[in-house]
Amino acid sequence: MDEIRIAAVADIHLGEGMRGRFRPQLDGIEDRADVLLVGGDLTRHGTLDEGQVVAHELRDLPVPVIAVLGNHDYHSDQNIEIIECLRDAGISVLDDSSDVVSVGGMRLGVAGGKGFGGGFAGKCASEFGEPETKAFVRHTREIAERWRHALKDLEADKKVLLSHYSPVKETLVGEPLEIYPFLGSYLLAEAADAAEVDLIIHGHAHKGTEKGLTPGGIRVRNVAMPVIGAAYALYCIA
Amino acid sequence: MDTPHYVAARVQQALAEDDRTNELGIQVYVRGNQLFLRGQVTGDAQLDVLGQVAAETAPGMTVHNEITVVEVTKPETEEHLG
Ligand SMILES: [Fe+2]
Ligand SMILES: [Fe+2]
Repeated sequence: MDEIRIAAVADIHLGEGMRGRFRPQLDGIEDRADVLLVGGDLTRHGTLDEGQVVAHELRDLPVPVIAVLGNHDYHSDQNIEIIECLRDAGISVLDDSSDVVSVGGMRLGVAGGKGFGGGFAGKCASEFGEPETKAFVRHTREIAERWRHALKDLEADKKVLLSHYSPVKETLVGEPLEIYPFLGSYLLAEAADAAEVDLIIHGHAHKGTEKGLTPGGIRVRNVAMPVIGAAYALYCIA
Repeated sequence: MDTPHYVAARVQQALAEDDRTNELGIQVYVRGNQLFLRGQVTGDAQLDVLGQVAAETAPGMTVHNEITVVEVTKPETEEHLG
C-alpha cells in the first residue's frame, strides 16, 4: 500500500435523542478509509450520558477510531468518565498522548489532544498580569509542550496531529476576528512544525474554513461537521 | 426598553450557557421588538429549544428563528495530499 486513507470529522455534538442517527452515515467507511479520526466536541453538554451515545455510535467500526475531546466535552466535569466510556468501547482517546495503527504495511502515528486557545503570533495573550490570564496562557503552553514530546517519541511512517482547537488562523476564516484567541493558538502549530508531521486535523471553528497551512508548511484541515458538510472528510497521504 | 445591543448580547450568552442549548455559534440580531436568530445546528431537536431559550431571555420580543439544520451525508470526494 502506498497511501494511507484518513477519514476525519469533528464537532459531531451528539446528544440524547441522536442515538442511531450518526452511525448510518459511517456505513461502508472501510471501503473508503483506513482509520477514522474524530477531533473533539463529541457531545453537546459533556455529560456521561451523551458520552455513552458517542460510544454507541462509534463502537465496533471496521476501521480503528482515534478521538480527542473538545471544550463541550469538558462542560459537565465528566471528561474523565467520557474518556473511560469511549475507551471501553474500543475507541482510542488521545489526551496529550499518541497512538500508532498499522495500515497495510505502514504505521500511522497520531498524536494530540484537546488543545486550547490564546491567539496567533503577534496578536495573542501572554503569561502576564492577573493569575487568570497567566493560567489561560499557561494551559496552552503546557499542552504544546506535551505535544512536542508525544510527537518526538512517535515512531511511525506517517504522522498526524489531532486537535480540537486550531493551530492556525487560515482555517478560522468565516469566524468573527474578535474570537480568534478562543479558537486556537499558534503554539499548537509550533509544536507540530518542530516535528515531521504530515497533516493536522482540528475542529471547533464551526463557521471556519477547511484548508490551511502552518508557517512550516504542514497541511491543516478544519473538519468541523458544518464546515465539511458531511459525516467525514477523506484525506489520502502518500 | 433595554438597548437592543445588550438584549442581543444577553440572548447570545443564554444560548451558550443554558444547559438546554449550549450552542456557541448563534448570531442574534435585534430590530425594535423583533429578535432574529441565525446560524447552523446539527440536529433538528435543538431548533425549538433555541427559540424557546431566546424567548425566555428576551420576554416581550417576537423571536424569528432562522437557524438551519446541517444535513449530514457521506462525503463525495477525497483529497490526495502528495
Ligand atoms: Fe463544536
Ligand atoms: Fe469546540
